[in-house]
Amino acid sequence: MKIGIPRALGYYLYYPFWHGFFNELGIEIVLSGKTNKKIVSDGSALVVSETCLPVKVYVGHVLELLNNGVDVIYSPSIQSIAPKVYNCSKLRGLPDLIRNVIRRNFLLIEPTFDKSVPKQGLQQFLYETVAPLGITNKKKIDLASKAGWECMNNYWLMTRAGVKAEIALQNIINGKVDLTLKTNELPINAAVISHGYNLYDEHISMKVIKKLEGLGVNSLTADNLNLAQMTKGIETLNTNLYWANEAEITGAAGYYMTDNAVDGLITITAFGCGPDSLMIERITRFARRLNKPILNLTIDEHTGEAGFVTRLEAFTDMLYRKKRTILVETLNRQIYNGDEKNIQLVQEVEYLNAKA
Amino acid sequence: MKISFPHMGNLHIILSSAIKVLGGEVVVPPCNSKTTLSLGTRNSPEAVCLPYKLILGNYIQAIEAGAEAILMLDSPGICRLGQYSDSSRNALIDLGYDVEFINFDLYQGKLREIYKKFKKATNNGNPLDLIRAIKIALFKIDILDQLDHALAYYRAREIHIGSSDAKYRKGIKAIEEAFTLKECRNAFKYAMDLLSSVPVDTGKEILHVDLTGEIFVVLDSFANLEVEKELGKLGVHVHRKLNLSDWTKSSLMPSILRFSETHGEKAERFAKTYLKRDIGGDAIESIGDAALAEYNKSDGVVHLLPFTCMPEIVSQNILPNVRLTNDIPVLSIVLDEQMGKAGFNTRLEAFVDLIKRRKRKIA
Repeated sequence: MKIGIPRALGYYLYYPFWHGFFNELGIEIVLSGKTNKKIVSDGSALVVSETCLPVKVYVGHVLELLNNGVDVIYSPSIQSIAPKVYNCSKLRGLPDLIRNVIRRNFLLIEPTFDKSVPKQGLQQFLYETVAPLGITNKKKIDLASKAGWECMNNYWLMTRAGVKAEIALQNIINGKVDLTLKTNELPINAAVISHGYNLYDEHISMKVIKKLEGLGVNSLTADNLNLAQMTKGIETLNTNLYWANEAEITGAAGYYMTDNAVDGLITITAFGCGPDSLMIERITRFARRLNKPILNLTIDEHTGEAGFVTRLEAFTDMLYRKKRTILVETLNRQIYNGDEKNIQLVQEVEYLNAKA
Repeated sequence: MKISFPHMGNLHIILSSAIKVLGGEVVVPPCNSKTTLSLGTRNSPEAVCLPYKLILGNYIQAIEAGAEAILMLDSPGICRLGQYSDSSRNALIDLGYDVEFINFDLYQGKLREIYKKFKKATNNGNPLDLIRAIKIALFKIDILDQLDHALAYYRAREIHIGSSDAKYRKGIKAIEEAFTLKECRNAFKYAMDLLSSVPVDTGKEILHVDLTGEIFVVLDSFANLEVEKELGKLGVHVHRKLNLSDWTKSSLMPSILRFSETHGEKAERFAKTYLKRDIGGDAIESIGDAALAEYNKSDGVVHLLPFTCMPEIVSQNILPNVRLTNDIPVLSIVLDEQMGKAGFNTRLEAFVDLIKRRKRKIA
């Protein structure tokens, strides 16, 4: 039995769980290839131009799977993750969109996960998932769910210890847990705030993490935080959980914004993203109030790589300079400390700095 | 406390009469205009939808006019609507304004929440007054919708273009100044009489178009560049499918008091084949209306949506499929602050030409 999973959207958030779950049930997972130009243009051709990039990419991946002869596509609809905490409409209606824009003959497995409906939860969702495949043994499904959670928890264990998401995912697929970190000290720490499906898709994000590494910037992501930290971040930004994927944006940004070890924030958002438009606005406003450097990058299928790199370079240059100035100032303060005359001098310097 | 609220079509007439009946003070923000829109656009994120920009503009203009509190709806907004107040509060703080938000959170209960928030806004806790206010508000919603439907009929058939609109404005003014049920009834009768005095050409070839989409842009004539009026000029009888009265029926009324199927439920029934789950906003209504149009004997569907509206993007993607199975022309128009009236009218004219030819061919 084969099931096709597009390497887009939910893949970057929940794949470890699906890996454990479907393997335990003896279902073979067929993943689509990594995103490339053809996938993006194929997907864009089918949907209206206003649709956001990740959804276009998703459609492209489904098409690729279908072209490769996979005729069972798994496309769940994550409606809400907690009572009255809903997802973006486009993600909620994803299977409906796929069904209507790809008019071919294939089996679309479209379970709905909705915590806002009483007595609806993961169990019902999983039963609904495998029912079209002819698996109805509830005990077996529950066991598979456990296996899925094991993978998911191992994945989180690794990412929260600081392992990069890509490596952690590879470890899960290889069936091992490896907490060793690549220790290369980089001078600057920047929080990269984006949805997993934008950030870890190397075609969409144009390998931003590797590019930043090349510029001497260590990137921190929402995957390196646990739920409590992200909840604290949401409180910092004076709001409450509204979107299903708010934690990885507002939560992570709020947490990193108050973290002194983080030099700046980089947000990457797809053009026309509904939830992001308001979340990023909130982050920008608070960054201004808290005096944290922030760079907002918007991506779509036409984004040029050169302009993207230039902006990243300019931003990191600025972070370097800011860090250097702060260092020089603290050093000066330490040197002059104690002497009355020198305190006056320091005050003068500070006054000048403030004026500049 | 001076209370204000954002505009949405004729909503200001309803809310201000309800608050006045309760003895509160109302500041109605200036009607939506280019100024409102540019004030809102300047202070909101680029990719947010048109209603947010207009509403933020309303807030700023209302505060400038002396408003101290703002009445706003928080839920059931399963799209960005639920975040409107939260985000605009932030924007207003950064602009240096101090204003109190009174939000209806309909997840917390329907009538109870209305009672609590109106009490807070007007300092009048008398339940009898409140029942009176709600009665008048609901009645006004009903008569205004009926008047709009009548206007659509006369607009399409009037001999002198613009004559029914002039009469309509007069009628609206009368309804605005009515504060008891009896006055409302009289004002409605007066307004209807005015409209029916408009000379019409009954032999004219009339096209029927269903208007659907996102509720704010469908109801607000500034946001939709007066689409109903423009279509009326072209001899089209517009059937607006999204009305405030339907919304109050489905969202405010306790489900026990509902006897007939609401518009939303009907649309959901027809949309089921295309859209299996509720995805927030008015997506189900849009798709259901498009699927229903053939059954309603309409000649076409005009689907309005604000730019980047999440639910409507999904319905925009699904509509071509609806069009395949139901032989009905659909025109999707995306609205934002960059819309030009001339291009908009050209598209409407082309669409009307198309459906006119199609109708003649079929007949």
